[in-house]
Amino acid sequence: MRRDRERMRIERPWLWLGLIATVAAIFLADTFTSLEIAVAVLYVAVILISVRFDRPVVVVSFGAASALLTVLSYLLTPRGIQETGLANGALSLIAIGATTYLALRIEAAEARVRQTQAELAHMARVTAMGELTASIAHEVSQPLAGIVASGHAALRWLAATPPDAGEVRRALERVVADADRAGEVIGRVRNLVAKAPPSRDRLDLVALIEEVLALTRGELRRNHVTLQTDLADDLPRPLGDKVQLQQVVLNLVINAAEAMGGLETGPRDLLVGAASDGRTITVSVRDTGVSLSPAAIAQVFEAFHSTKPGGMGMGLAISRSIVEAHGGTIYAAANHPRGMVFGFTLPVAGTALDRQHG
Amino acid sequence: MDKQPATVFVVDDDLSVREGLDSLFRSVGYAVSAFASVREFALARRPDTPSCLVLDVRMPGPSGMDFQAELAALNDPIPIVFLTGHGDVPMAVRAIKAGAVEFLLKPFREQDLLDAVRVAIENDVTRRRDEAALAELKERFATLTVREKEVLAFVAQGRLNKQIAADLGLSEVTVKVHRGQVMRKMGAATLAELVRLADLISGKEQAVR
Repeated sequence: MRRDRERMRIERPWLWLGLIATVAAIFLADTFTSLEIAVAVLYVAVILISVRFDRPVVVVSFGAASALLTVLSYLLTPRGIQETGLANGALSLIAIGATTYLALRIEAAEARVRQTQAELAHMARVTAMGELTASIAHEVSQPLAGIVASGHAALRWLAATPPDAGEVRRALERVVADADRAGEVIGRVRNLVAKAPPSRDRLDLVALIEEVLALTRGELRRNHVTLQTDLADDLPRPLGDKVQLQQVVLNLVINAAEAMGGLETGPRDLLVGAASDGRTITVSVRDTGVSLSPAAIAQVFEAFHSTKPGGMGMGLAISRSIVEAHGGTIYAAANHPRGMVFGFTLPVAGTALDRQHG
Repeated sequence: MDKQPATVFVVDDDLSVREGLDSLFRSVGYAVSAFASVREFALARRPDTPSCLVLDVRMPGPSGMDFQAELAALNDPIPIVFLTGHGDVPMAVRAIKAGAVEFLLKPFREQDLLDAVRVAIENDVTRRRDEAALAELKERFATLTVREKEVLAFVAQGRLNKQIAADLGLSEVTVKVHRGQVMRKMGAATLAELVRLADLISGKEQAVR
């Protein structure tokens, strides 16, 4: 999972500082100890750590700098046997070269993993959106129906004798508002379906959740689900990838709606909550559908494990990897008296960084 | 017929659709009452004018289809035009079989909607006229004496004065007098009309029972 966390490509001032300080320390130690002591081999560690920047050019730079400093140290070191120093230096250079090569290979492999994961997540997102087609059509047809009604009303008020300017203006204002609303739906769909590179911003979780709920409203309605929200209005703004976290919320909400869609009796209540205790933020999706057994709950986040007919079993597995990449945890539990709670926690601040240094 | 404008009731949980429909129906001369849920509509006072209900199928809480069944169970005859964001054929068939005037998909064509509402209002006008006529007829029937009602029942069965006189132990002249009274009170010009009116009353009474 450490690799997942590195997927967040960010500028990391502390890591930079740490590595450069280490390089300087190695250089000084190498220069002021005698030629027999091959301190320069320690540059290898710096090169391996530099893989964490996820940028080949950084790895190569550290490798090249290490080689140059090794040579420089050799020239500057006042004490020691020259032949041993030369041999040590040569060995250090070979080690640095080999390590740089290996580090580049590791970097490339990790990049491929990241790419594959991103593609898988994208595919899952598009699949989820596919399930929402009817719902989205509904979300667009609602404002269109409003536009048709208000537009024709405006024409008729205009044709009346005398024309009713007040009615015309109000009708046209509704037309404009409805057109904006339809545009927003399209925009949200486009954002979720687009192949965007991972990003990391301060997130307004309430807005993020509400956007997802706006897209699923039709799906909830189709399943006769009553939605309630309990979103704290003073949530801290965690760092994260908006589209990815929206994908998680989307998955949880669709799952909940489907779990309740098949119910014969009983209430169909969905409660989406977000709260914070200062250290972590918890987002929860609570339904009154079928409760899973503890054995089923244990398996629910595994890939290719699905409790729904026709399910691929990818949604929750991908959700878990996304949440963990954000330094959080995803959980499932039985809701009382019935149904399930699915949710995830996110650390409030600087998470991925803290953990890497800790 | 009714002089006041007909009323269109709109039930849709989407505010802008509701307001749009409200404005559209008012622009063609209807009175409009719009509600966000079927519960609000059910609690509302309805004016005594021809009316129809434009109902969204899918809403949080009871769906439009469920509400149609509820209205039917309550013998509420208001004609219904369904609007829905995503409907399918079985749903439309169910709605129409249950008596809906029309089942329209959003976004609808304005003309389709106005046509459907016009038909629904016409249906309601016809129903109200029939009901008013029947109510008047029943009032007239109530003014008949017990003996006259007996005579009417026999006449409606197609029995002759002579037979009725024998059945009731009356003279034929007395039966004729009763029959004349019945025709006058019921406002029937001919025997055929009297029989039809008698059928209407008994038919309605059976339905009520």
